[in-house]
Amino acid sequence: MIGLGYTLPAVVSVIVVCVLELAVLRTGLFRTPAYWISMGIVLFFQVLTDGWLTKLSAPIVIYNSEHTSGIRFPWDIPVEDFLFGWALVTGVLLLWERQRVKR
Amino acid sequence: MDKWQYLLLLGGCLLITLPLDFVGEGVYRQPGRLLRALAPVVAVFLVWDAIAIAAKVWHYNPRYVSGINVPFMPLEELLFFVVIPICGLLTYNAVNAGLARMATKRERVADRSRR
Repeated sequence: MIGLGYTLPAVVSVIVVCVLELAVLRTGLFRTPAYWISMGIVLFFQVLTDGWLTKLSAPIVIYNSEHTSGIRFPWDIPVEDFLFGWALVTGVLLLWERQRVKR
Repeated sequence: MDKWQYLLLLGGCLLITLPLDFVGEGVYRQPGRLLRALAPVVAVFLVWDAIAIAAKVWHYNPRYVSGINVPFMPLEELLFFVVIPICGLLTYNAVNAGLARMATKRERVADRSRR
């Protein structure tokens, strides 16, 4: 339950992505309604797919409980997955948008 | 059939989001831009994933993966980092296209009422 292996890097990944946008890339993505609507849709589908991957009755991915907060919601999804997924998708969206700014 | 679960899930994600490329400026239709957006982020997450697997933070149920391995991880996990952001980009592309269409429609209505 120390959470060092997953909880900590998941939180750090979110901070890194935020700093990347606010201090380096400055694409303005976070100020667009399209981004937040998209993240809402992505979140909905993440719950479905991630729910399937992490369900404790027949898990595809198995987490070491020593390295997570132990909070699993909804269903059996470790909450860390939402930070991890947000950082992954937002990171790519930022680099996608940056190429629009440049053109 | 069970060992294809993870691969099928990823395939389903690609299939469901595929039509979203036909609206707006598209994602697959800009392969260079897609590659430049994906590569750095995927590289970072692959390193994170490889470390997490090596440190036994998480592992994969052999029952539900193909057994095909790339260095450090199952093939499925590598594909995950490519497939999921593409789905995100396609969603964003479609939302942008939808909002743009709504804006033009509103403009047209405003134009008509002005005349």
